[in-house]
Amino acid sequence: MINMLENRADRTVEIILTSQIGHERIAMACSASFAEMYGFPKDRIEDLKTIVAEASINAMQHGNKGRADAKVIVSMIYQNDTIRVWVRDEGNGIKERPPNPDIEKIIEADEVLSGFGLFLIEQLADQVEFKESADKGHVIEMALKMKA
Amino acid sequence: MQNKNEVALEKHGPVVILNIQGDITSFSEPFLNQAYKDANDQGTEKILLNIEDGAYINSGGIAVLIQILAQTKKNSQQISITGLSEHFKKIFNMVGITKFADIHNDVEGAIAAMSK
Repeated sequence: MINMLENRADRTVEIILTSQIGHERIAMACSASFAEMYGFPKDRIEDLKTIVAEASINAMQHGNKGRADAKVIVSMIYQNDTIRVWVRDEGNGIKERPPNPDIEKIIEADEVLSGFGLFLIEQLADQVEFKESADKGHVIEMALKMKA
Repeated sequence: MQNKNEVALEKHGPVVILNIQGDITSFSEPFLNQAYKDANDQGTEKILLNIEDGAYINSGGIAVLIQILAQTKKNSQQISITGLSEHFKKIFNMVGITKFADIHNDVEGAIAAMSK
């Protein structure tokens, strides 16, 4: 479900996804169209698509624990040359921030650690915050400026 | 919604190319592992991952690729990657994949560099 709300001060899009891996691409496509509407350059649109996808995947897998009926809500607003994105899930949030993945240790140990999604979000977004949602659940708030 | 990959192996002198069709996500693991095993069975020391133009690669796919890198390092094989957009070149650099695999703009350039 996609809702578009518009007023003079800001423009907002809201996308409601089920927790099915692959559906993050719907949010990616919407975020790309949204950023194009406001003249974001191609490289920033690619950054936006990645942070929206990774936050949605984290919400589905870790927040909602893969429960297909649990919703992920992606909201985007454009203001002052910046797109702010909120990705809400029905989980309890991150108790402890996982360490950044260290590829050399991973390759030497021949094991794959998690945390690549969060790492990419923090590398690509201009601002990232983790919060409890006002109703229930958890939300990650990300901001991406038009120019890096 | 699980994606499938088709991986065709192609030998160019000392280099075995894995032509990977489709997006690279956690669902790619069995396809890429099997393709790597097939390449490895040929006794190759040089492997080129040729990713389809415009393919979607997410963190799950990056983890699968890193598993392949770990295996090539263990087997003392050289590995390179082609087919990446500028965005994914940046991502692969951020994650550190470029410490273990050379990135080339095209297959011809990769083969030339790997054949030296």
